[in-house]
Amino acid sequence: MKPPPVSITITDLTMRFPVYGVDAKSLKKHLARVAVGGQLGAHHGATDVTAIQGLNLKLKAGDRLGLIGHNGSGKTTLLRALSGAYEPDEGTIEVNGRIAPLLDLSLGIDPSATGLENIRLRGRIAGLSAKEIEAKMDQIGAFTGLGPFLAMPLKTYSAGMQARLAFAVATAVDADVLLMDEWIAVGDAQFQKIAHARLLSLVERAGILVLASHDLDLIRLYCNKVMRMDAGVASPMVDVKKMDQLLAAA
Amino acid sequence: MQIAEHMLRTGRRGTLHEFSMALADLRASTHKAGLAWSLAWHDVVSRYRGSILGPFWITLSMALMVLGIGFIYSKLFHIALDEFMPWVAIGIVFWGMISLTIIEGCDTFVAAKGMLSQTSLPMFTFIWRTAFRNLINLAHHTVIIVGVLIWYGYWRKANVPLAVVGLALTLANVIWISFAVALASARFRDIPQIVGSIMQFAIFLTPVFWLPGHGILAKHAVLVFNPFFHMLDVIRSPLMGRMPSGLSYAVLATMAVVGWTATFSVFAVIRRRIVHYL
Repeated sequence: MKPPPVSITITDLTMRFPVYGVDAKSLKKHLARVAVGGQLGAHHGATDVTAIQGLNLKLKAGDRLGLIGHNGSGKTTLLRALSGAYEPDEGTIEVNGRIAPLLDLSLGIDPSATGLENIRLRGRIAGLSAKEIEAKMDQIGAFTGLGPFLAMPLKTYSAGMQARLAFAVATAVDADVLLMDEWIAVGDAQFQKIAHARLLSLVERAGILVLASHDLDLIRLYCNKVMRMDAGVASPMVDVKKMDQLLAAA
Repeated sequence: MQIAEHMLRTGRRGTLHEFSMALADLRASTHKAGLAWSLAWHDVVSRYRGSILGPFWITLSMALMVLGIGFIYSKLFHIALDEFMPWVAIGIVFWGMISLTIIEGCDTFVAAKGMLSQTSLPMFTFIWRTAFRNLINLAHHTVIIVGVLIWYGYWRKANVPLAVVGLALTLANVIWISFAVALASARFRDIPQIVGSIMQFAIFLTPVFWLPGHGILAKHAVLVFNPFFHMLDVIRSPLMGRMPSGLSYAVLATMAVVGWTATFSVFAVIRRRIVHYL
């Protein structure tokens, strides 16, 4: 049986966050009309933030979607819902393909463990088997360019070296769907160049990229589709060439 | 390497659907048991990094406690040392596993916040992680028990297979309790303190280092209604060459069924909310 082609289908997605331990009622009136943040409301006595409302989206292999919008407009929430971490309150999310969320480079990184141990741990979390990791170990190690430092604890690394390692492991997974919250720029100029090449090849390899960013040039560079989020409501998805119209419409 | 993976997430579709999703989480976690093991192993390794003895430091301090309590109490209460020492040794070692699995359960989801909020890893994976971690530590501490049982000659009459059955029955209960406090602590941050106090109190109510009268099963409410007493009984008695009471098996089996049903039901209902609690 042939596996189904890589795709993302979202229908009528609504995401709400219950906010616990905070009485937002008094704030509600003040916040209701501001552009930053989702919509606050009270349901069943608990305060809810509606992060995404009635979102529909269809992506197929080759689509590289850029998400733009204010802080708190629901971009990250959408990415987390796509990663499978957040469950929809209404609607459905269907993803065919292996998902690699690159939302947080520091995920599963232990500062007191050595570089090699961190590669193993992070790889296991990303869904690689112990064997797959050992097979990729040399390649990942070489990519970090850290050489003998891989046997040292991560806390002895400089910030740039830590970022190199985290980046190398996070991007070592063969993914069909790549989720990114802001383009990851790490390390010194030389590493940024290879990181850039790596991400590009990953984007090429991955069937689908969803990238949330405030950097419009970045989105023009990497994406072919763009969607604007505004207080949890998504605009129609348009070709990236029409981004200016999308921005003007707001 | 072409693994076609499929993920379908939906809004609430009735209670039955929530239960089947919770079961799917459980199934996924058993497929990823290796991941839970790797995480647990990493926890143990990283906790004792740079120390020479590693988890054996805890073993050593436990051994000292066993020797201290064993010698002093046996003199104080005029109990034969060869009766009391194994009692205390087995009691302290297994109590350590039981109480720590429950206390560390409070941290199960809270500590996994990063992973839970950006990956689709099953939640049960982290329950197993806590359990595995404590089993790894227990494996170190069994040295004490083996030593004491050999020294006092119990190895001839110890019924190890029956003790393993007892351990399994104990784990079946300890893990759901750990699971329950994990769920509660994710939502209410007072729970870890409460659980800590309860476990501290429970060690005095449970015959960990005291003998419950002459009839081993004195029918006192403190014992009959104390699940920890029954847990220790089904492990300790076989190792000391005695039969655990039928009551202990009945209590533990009932508790496991009721506890798992209740905890799993709560999990099924609040599962999609847990990540937002954190």
